[in-house]
Amino acid sequence: MAKNNRRAYLFIAPFVIVFLIFNIYPIFLTFYYSLTNYSGMGGIANAEFVGISNYVRLVTDTYFYEAFLNTIQIWGFNFVVQMLIALGLALLFSDIRLKLRGVSIFRALFYLPNIITIASVALLFNILLDWNHGALNQMLLSLGLIDSPINWLNSPAYAQSAVALIGAWMWFGNSFIILLAGISGISRDYYEAALIDGANWWKSFTNITLPQLKPILLYVLITSIIGGLQLFDLPMLLTDTRGAPQGSLNTMVLYLYNQAFRYNNFGYGATLAYGLFIITVIFSAITFRTMYRREVR
Amino acid sequence: MKKLLLLTVLSILFVLGACSSQEKADLVVTSFTDELQEPINKFEELHDVNVDLQIIPTENYTTTLRPALESGEGAPDVFTGEIVYLKDWIEQDYWANLSTDPYNVDAWEDDYMDYVWDLGKNSAGEVRAVSWQTTPGGIYYRRSIAEEVLGTDDPDEVGEMFSTMDGLMDVGEKMKEHNYRLFPDEGSIQPYTNGQDPQPWVNENNELVMTEARLSYFDYAKELRDKQYTALAPAWSPAWYESFVGPISYNVGWDELDEDAEDADKTEVFAVSLPTWGLNSVLKEEAEETSGDWAVTNGPTPYFQGGTWIGMYKDSENKDLAWEFIQMLVHDEEFLTEWVTETTGDVLSYLPVTTKISEDFSEEYLGGQNHYKFFLEEAQKIDASTITKYDQQIGELFGTEVGNYVEGNVTKEEALEEFYNQVENAFPEVTVPE
Repeated sequence: MAKNNRRAYLFIAPFVIVFLIFNIYPIFLTFYYSLTNYSGMGGIANAEFVGISNYVRLVTDTYFYEAFLNTIQIWGFNFVVQMLIALGLALLFSDIRLKLRGVSIFRALFYLPNIITIASVALLFNILLDWNHGALNQMLLSLGLIDSPINWLNSPAYAQSAVALIGAWMWFGNSFIILLAGISGISRDYYEAALIDGANWWKSFTNITLPQLKPILLYVLITSIIGGLQLFDLPMLLTDTRGAPQGSLNTMVLYLYNQAFRYNNFGYGATLAYGLFIITVIFSAITFRTMYRREVR
Repeated sequence: MKKLLLLTVLSILFVLGACSSQEKADLVVTSFTDELQEPINKFEELHDVNVDLQIIPTENYTTTLRPALESGEGAPDVFTGEIVYLKDWIEQDYWANLSTDPYNVDAWEDDYMDYVWDLGKNSAGEVRAVSWQTTPGGIYYRRSIAEEVLGTDDPDEVGEMFSTMDGLMDVGEKMKEHNYRLFPDEGSIQPYTNGQDPQPWVNENNELVMTEARLSYFDYAKELRDKQYTALAPAWSPAWYESFVGPISYNVGWDELDEDAEDADKTEVFAVSLPTWGLNSVLKEEAEETSGDWAVTNGPTPYFQGGTWIGMYKDSENKDLAWEFIQMLVHDEEFLTEWVTETTGDVLSYLPVTTKISEDFSEEYLGGQNHYKFFLEEAQKIDASTITKYDQQIGELFGTEVGNYVEGNVTKEEALEEFYNQVENAFPEVTVPE
């Protein structure tokens, strides 16, 4: 028994060692950075220890709160649109009365945007959304839908919506596949019974599909929140890398990145990382609590 | 158990062996462009050595290289630095001090353009990095359009018209009358906003310096936009590149645009502000079609943009070879003459070569103009004492806020206040006005 235990330790050793070196050590080092005014240059030993002053700055930093709100707004809009499309399509393709063909082809097609690298997507939309020369404005103008071109990436509302919608376009295929799998897992018996009882489409959707789908919806929600809070690449690459227009694309991680690597405020960047960590913990706790409560019931 | 251990050890050894089996280079050079490949080839030939040029893209350069320089692990023997972070890096112990034995580069001082030499010196007066190039800027313009609208394509005469901000606006008006646009975007006048009496962005007391000239950038930029002197093609956007080749779409949808005019939704750009390297890496690369139709002249004030400095890592084990390479690159008359005249056309900061070749230089792309002489004169006017490590970042923040004002998103006061807040947030050590 004891021998087996030792052998087991040997097997988990590679993971534990890597985890300690690349995860635990940086986490503690980052905390130490957050208590200094380290600039990333000249060695941490020469940095000044400033106590909790970085944390005092964090809780009074309006740019941080703005970044938090931006992140939530973009993620929220993105999630609603993405789920509406994904759920709608999943229902359509799983409907026993419609019996749509070619599900596997559409599944692949819907997933395609997700395999394009974000850098390419950002460049693509940057060109499409260009004020005077972009295809979108040219199209809207020639259709007569607008009288003068809209400067999409110069308006905070449009820019945030653009990021949210691009995100939704990239991720609805992923959600669609998961939701479709979830719906396929629901027993047909329920629907047949409902049909016999005279339930219409809406009744079976709200009383059978949605309740049965809840665990899957929660899973999609949690993974989306975790990804959404880390929103960085698209907002960075779509405009000036500093969150233009007017700071509306300045997400939490982008703010952290710019503080640490653009302005060389490593200490404060580390503090922002801890701020982000605390927010992520709070959000995860809320979602886990919700999920736990469902299971008890 | 023993077998398992043996297997583990063997596989680790195998992995380690695979890593170190690569051939080791005699010298490792790190840079952010491939412009050093040519000199390296030449150097390898001359010394029969193997040089490894590692290129890290500009956007990752500092974040990738700095940890190596900080820790010494994986640091190259020779590496370059851009003006953006040069002032930060020369104060660190990254590059070796070249003012000491056996290098004693201080003796070279008179051979170089003043501002280029001064920027490689840290606050203790030690030369840490040197440069072969100088990067003053000017206004490149299309000769055919100048001829048509201004009646002349002569760089001196056009330069005379460009010599004040108001002069620029006058040319803008004339261009507009002929359905041309003076500049692609409002950012084109940013280099001239330091004015005739340039001040540093941050002074020795760590205070942000706001001047009348800088404030006037708000008004001039707004004027450019409101009077439609620009083509609404922001720098480095696809439309911006396109504007150097021919007419670009210009569909502002303003009511006064004549619906009947055939080209009402097209316009052509007359000029653009770019430094020396803009000729090679922007115009020649992106606008072959308009070759020969360009010329370059002065704007309202001299300025410079970019520039690459080079030095050797302080703990390099190959200092002798590294020093040979640096000498060849920045202080070898024969090599530099050949490199410039035959390949790059880069404007050098090394005076023994520049004085020799600047007299009868002729650039085909610029209609035979001797831009070399022009840029050398511009470079002489640059004063390194007003350059700070903050310039790039603060300049960008300022440009963004001016842009917000021009777009009509905010008032001038709001833009200025936001600019001050941004500077304070990015650089807590700097105090801002008010």
